[in-house]
Amino acid sequence: MSTTDSVPERLWEARAVIYSHFAATGQAPTPAETAAILQAPVADVVDLYNELHARHAILLEANSSTIRMANPFSGIPTGFQVMIGTTQYWANCIWDALGIPAALYRDADIIVADPAGGTPLRLQVRDGQVRGAGFVHFLLPFSRWYDDLVET
Amino acid sequence: MLLFRSEDDLGNWCQQRGATRGATLTVTQTWVLAQRWYYNRLDPAFHGRSIAEAEAVFASVGLEGAFWQSAAR
Repeated sequence: MSTTDSVPERLWEARAVIYSHFAATGQAPTPAETAAILQAPVADVVDLYNELHARHAILLEANSSTIRMANPFSGIPTGFQVMIGTTQYWANCIWDALGIPAALYRDADIIVADPAGGTPLRLQVRDGQVRGAGFVHFLLPFSRWYDDLVET
Repeated sequence: MLLFRSEDDLGNWCQQRGATRGATLTVTQTWVLAQRWYYNRLDPAFHGRSIAEAEAVFASVGLEGAFWQSAAR
């Protein structure tokens, strides 16, 4: 980075780019894609990704600059698929599956893998209301969420 | 956080894994929680929230008690 003082501003600019990219495409931006938008060197953007990871603003794959999570979005396919219009999103959990239409203020069709191995469960969001049934289980208490973000 | 079709499915899932059951919410409760948690997530001014702010969101949808509180109290 050119100066220490410029880091926080660039950090949040990078975060905004990541979220805008997820919202527009359903996919995580690579450091190169973010660097092109920020007009910054890729190496600097990798540093920003690492700093956002350290601040729990995103979650990177282990020893990688690939974004695994920018909640509610998932950078990899999961058992929580969210369709908004023609855009496919992946969420990290059922809370995040509902979080995507909440964050985007859009109607959504949500398809969830059944943990019991049955047919997928389906929810809909229409005009700010949710349709569908089921039991949402939070395994770990809030105090342990950052112990393992994937299994929470 | 997983979505189960029935209480029986949830109970069996916990039993098979030797897991202690956590907290269970309805879909509607989770939707309201999602709205209050994520409504400003795409705002460039959102830089995260404090533990106290997170606990306040939980409390606003009736989620109170030790399960919804940080250990750092």
